[in-house]
Amino acid sequence: MPTGNEYAAEQLKTQGNTHFKNGEYEAAETCYGQAIQKNSKNPLLFTNRANARLKLEKWQEVIDDCLKSIELMRENMKGFFYLAQAQLAINHPNEALSSALTAYDLCTHSSQQTSNAATISALVLKCKKAKWDIRERDRLRRRSSLLSTLESNLESQCKRDLFEITEQASTGAIGAIEASDSKSELLKAHEQNLADLRTAFAISDPGNMAKREVPDYLIDGITFEIMHDPVVTKNGRSYERATIIEHLKRSPTDPLTREPLRIEELRPNIALKEACTEFMEANSGWVYDCIDGEEDRDSRWAHLSSS
Amino acid sequence: MFATKRLGKELSKMQSGLPNGIELIKADDFKEWLLDIRVVDANPIYQGEVYRIKFMFSPNYPIEAPEVVFVQDESHPIPYHPHIYSNGIICLDLLDRTGWSPVHNVESVCISLQSMLTGNTKKERPPGDENFVRSNTQRPRDINFVFHDPHV
Repeated sequence: MPTGNEYAAEQLKTQGNTHFKNGEYEAAETCYGQAIQKNSKNPLLFTNRANARLKLEKWQEVIDDCLKSIELMRENMKGFFYLAQAQLAINHPNEALSSALTAYDLCTHSSQQTSNAATISALVLKCKKAKWDIRERDRLRRRSSLLSTLESNLESQCKRDLFEITEQASTGAIGAIEASDSKSELLKAHEQNLADLRTAFAISDPGNMAKREVPDYLIDGITFEIMHDPVVTKNGRSYERATIIEHLKRSPTDPLTREPLRIEELRPNIALKEACTEFMEANSGWVYDCIDGEEDRDSRWAHLSSS
Repeated sequence: MFATKRLGKELSKMQSGLPNGIELIKADDFKEWLLDIRVVDANPIYQGEVYRIKFMFSPNYPIEAPEVVFVQDESHPIPYHPHIYSNGIICLDLLDRTGWSPVHNVESVCISLQSMLTGNTKKERPPGDENFVRSNTQRPRDINFVFHDPHV
């Protein structure tokens, strides 16, 4: 390839970045597109265009760009990160989660430990929440269909019994007063059965019964939130990877003991991670709701924008 | 990016109970909170007085330390202590940039201040208080205190 084209592509990319920074996403998209025509082998051009297209909510095209970029470069944190956002937007939370986790892995294994980890963590949680929402919706649908079947069974049983009493009364087997008493008793019992059935369903719903509190041992002592990727320090305390790294970059000391502590000395706490995951699986609805109360999404992604 | 969520959690925890002698006065936003403390044991220096503390948080709290000062009004004096200037500025290592740790929180800072007063026997201001108060224009977080005495 003539180097002139590579140079031209680089120029167009810079123009695109300027447009992007000014919030002119369509112009940025166009510039990146022209750059790609000059040089289709640079994975960064595709991820930059994907980021512009994310802003324009062209989800399918974001996905195409990301896949192309990942094809050109496997270790592609941004590619997977944008891909996950687009997949989430078109309501494919399983794919989105797997992309987000890949981005997170690439981020934490990269040599420079950046604050991207916190941002990607947040996206991972969003994907998990979306996944959980779908599961929960299905579960409610299933449960309520079983409940309504049972309710209609009770209903028809009650009608049959009422009909029988009417029959007996009409043949003179029982008196009119007796018949009316039995009927009202029957209706009362029927109401009670319905109420019992509904209570039983409510009790069997773990979301209804579970105590809404995350145990302290699953909570990061810095953010006070449930951990998603806990790491353990020399003294045995665990913290969320992204937040302890944020602290260590400012002050390379153990938060509790003040002994010197370097990022390289942190170790993943796999058992605790599994405990957190298990807890989230069981309680996702409200655990994620607590996590989700975030104000401005865009500012969270901002530092990942084009370069 | 951390502060809002973390302070929200601290707030709901504090609303369900605080140690004796510590009271939450105002926490309408996640920038500035007011708390009152008093010394609960019989230290004669602080009998019958209530002190008001102002916390100011940056968006990076708790990675960054909060700024914490005593504030004065008709009913709240500035407590006498060799590490508390008469304008309310506190010289305490855990509030200093290098002494802060993100595992501290509003409640634990209040407890530290409370015990700093409880253990004090000298009804005096820091040396050079007048000069410092007259000339200081810096915010507490920008002052580099030298910690002479780790025991007070």
